[in-house]
Amino acid sequence: MAAAAASNAASPPAIAKMELRGVSKTFHARGGETRALEPCDLAIAKGEFVTVVGPSGCGKSTLMMIAAGLEAPSAGEILVDGRPAGPAGPSRTVVFQRFALFPSETVAENIAFGLRVARTERAEIERRVAEQLALMGLERFAGAYPHELSGGMQQRVAIARALAVRPDILLMDEPFGALDAQTRTVLQEEVSRLQRELHYTVLFITHSVEEAVYLSDRVVVMSRGPGRIKREIAVPRDARWRGLEIEAAGNDASFLAAKREIWELIRDEIVRQ
Amino acid sequence: MAATASARWFDAAPGADRTLPFWRREPGRAQWLAIAFASLAAMLFAWFALTRPDGLISPLFLPPPSEVWEAFVRLLKRPYLGSTLGQHVGASLGIVLGGWLLAGAVGLPLGIAMGWWPKVRWLAFPIFQILRPVPPLAWIPLAILWLGIGDSARIFVVFIAAIVPWVMNSMQAVDSIDGLLVRAAMTLGASDRQILTRVVCRTALPTLVAGARIALGNAWTTLVAAELLAATAGLGYIALNASRTLEIGILLVAMAIIGVLGALFSIGMQLLTRVVAPWSRAGSSA
Amino acid sequence: MSATAAVVRSDVRSARANAARRPVAYGAAALATLVAVWWLATAIPGLVPTRVLPSPVDVVVRFGALIAEPFSGATLFGHALVSLQRWSIGVLAAIGLGVPLGIALAWLPPLRAVVTPAFELLRYIPPFAWVPIAVLWFGATTTTQAAIVFIAAFPACIINTQLAVSQVDSILVRAARTLGAGAATTLRRVVLPVAAPTVFTGLRIAFGNGWMALVGAELIVGKQGLGFLISQGQINDSAATILVGMTTIGVLGALIDVVLQRLQRVALPWRPASAKPLE
Repeated sequence: MAAAAASNAASPPAIAKMELRGVSKTFHARGGETRALEPCDLAIAKGEFVTVVGPSGCGKSTLMMIAAGLEAPSAGEILVDGRPAGPAGPSRTVVFQRFALFPSETVAENIAFGLRVARTERAEIERRVAEQLALMGLERFAGAYPHELSGGMQQRVAIARALAVRPDILLMDEPFGALDAQTRTVLQEEVSRLQRELHYTVLFITHSVEEAVYLSDRVVVMSRGPGRIKREIAVPRDARWRGLEIEAAGNDASFLAAKREIWELIRDEIVRQ
Repeated sequence: MAATASARWFDAAPGADRTLPFWRREPGRAQWLAIAFASLAAMLFAWFALTRPDGLISPLFLPPPSEVWEAFVRLLKRPYLGSTLGQHVGASLGIVLGGWLLAGAVGLPLGIAMGWWPKVRWLAFPIFQILRPVPPLAWIPLAILWLGIGDSARIFVVFIAAIVPWVMNSMQAVDSIDGLLVRAAMTLGASDRQILTRVVCRTALPTLVAGARIALGNAWTTLVAAELLAATAGLGYIALNASRTLEIGILLVAMAIIGVLGALFSIGMQLLTRVVAPWSRAGSSA
Repeated sequence: MSATAAVVRSDVRSARANAARRPVAYGAAALATLVAVWWLATAIPGLVPTRVLPSPVDVVVRFGALIAEPFSGATLFGHALVSLQRWSIGVLAAIGLGVPLGIALAWLPPLRAVVTPAFELLRYIPPFAWVPIAVLWFGATTTTQAAIVFIAAFPACIINTQLAVSQVDSILVRAARTLGAGAATTLRRVVLPVAAPTVFTGLRIAFGNGWMALVGAELIVGKQGLGFLISQGQINDSAATILVGMTTIGVLGALIDVVLQRLQRVALPWRPASAKPLE
């Protein structure tokens, strides 16, 4: 039922969009060293939605920070389109758990930020901002400041801001972790819809197994810390429950089976601690 | 796996965040000490070099380190203006601590009362609101007029300088207690007085000590000024006279001692915070 | 009625209109009582000599006199203006040097190691302790006064600016990096605007410190200014003059703070960072 690593039906044998090779991380603190990440290999194909799940402390956030270029790996390399990735930049934008919207800029200004930094011409900026506002349902809030918005709206702005620069790959670090359950469900369904329409390349981190199965093409399970990649599980794109709301999908047998399999792997790691 | 050429822009000392250039990185402890030491050494060297006999700065402006050291030794050995150095320091300390403690004896209970009972606050707060904008030093002429150039005038001014922080900070300390704690105590059957002493005062302790520290700082600053105007002994008095007689070495020594004492007060209060309220993270320097 | 009962009552019944009126009434009553006692004390002949405590009426009369005629060189306005001038120079210098330096210290950690030793050594010397040496260096001029104001305002400027900038949530800096912003852009468009409200609050404190220091400096040196005015009042045995001077000093100090608060609210409408400024 579950495929082993990389036998995903979706990807042809082309150069991966993003590849992490032998990436490991050791933190040096005053007391000594902490090994956060064992060497990991991960390849993400263009248009693929890959989610990393694992028990708390397994290093999945560290993996994301390294993929984004915000942390340097102790060993290993990161490749984008086969070439070494440079410093953190708009080819790999990030949506953070805590939104990270610039409080002194309006919604529209936040979305336009990356474009203004890149000195895009004004007409193009306006076009893309309008596009993102429509895509994320934010037209009414274009002139509002972040602190005037609810958590769900703020995260929508963050996603819009990350997408406005047309990144090669979108990185999402537990983006719905700070939201209440209802908002979370709504946003999960929205991201799923966007993915089916627009086929972004996404690396997603979460600790919710249900979210991982619902959104992804492939789920990567990490072991407990210091983390390494334990198993990769493909989630078929043409599964019956795709396109349904989470409620409905939750009743589908194959959905539940995938959830169970992944959860068993994680529970195994937690119990062994 | 070994790092490849793509790791070039990662290279740096281990432990540092290698995605940032070195001038944005936090130095390690050893590096920090080295830089600080070098900076200090550079300043000392500049002092020596610039105040040499043929240097750029005249000794009337800034005396060379040797002269300052001699002045220090001289103050230690012989009385200056009628009292030994110890007596001068004692005079200053006595007034500052006296005024501060007096202000605390009045201000602390008053502030707590103002925080706890709204009626007290409604009565007393406006008075302090009016007092607050007037700088304590502005009271000096009035104090001299009323009490003459003596110890009592200076204690008065120090008292005024210290009482406003004592009162305001104590009031705020009690005020900012989470109402939830009070309600929790009530549900456990505590009476008003018990809540006040056992919950409120204990929880507010770090902030109360912080208020005491600010009051002490104010008191010390005001005392120095008061001694420049109306004193017959004390560190400020030394400074004033030394400036009049162009004994700049002594003036600098007096300033240094004033600074050291101020620093000791601040550190002492911080230690007190840690002793009295070890659970608090408050009490950072200001 | 203690605060605990008040806590419970306010849960049960929110009487907002009442709650606003009563404190004001009490406060007004307290102040009115003080003034009345003051007046009575001075009205009874022989109880309190006028040189020690003039009656409220005397003070008001003196206020009028000081506005109309020069005393010790200038009218009340004249002295106030001189004081404000000196204060402005010192404070502007403190901002001009302190804010950029504070930003630099927050942005470039190695710089902190360079600056901290000298700073810590000098920090605990109160501004007034610098007066004698300032007089020796600059003479009894405006520069001396402005220098004392500068010394009083500078630490608050630099420390609070550094604190405000370094406490900007690092996640915002990271977000800016992922969107391709370089150091200059991040500073200019993200860090500084977010830190600005807290910096401003620190500046308000610095301004207040500077005003207090100025008064003290003017007590000791100078031939004009509000501090000079009240010291002259003491020399001439005129408590009324002193009281008028003190009131003016207090009122001006409070006014400056209020104006700055308004300015902050208008210029920086977004929510401030959570940093708490230091006194």
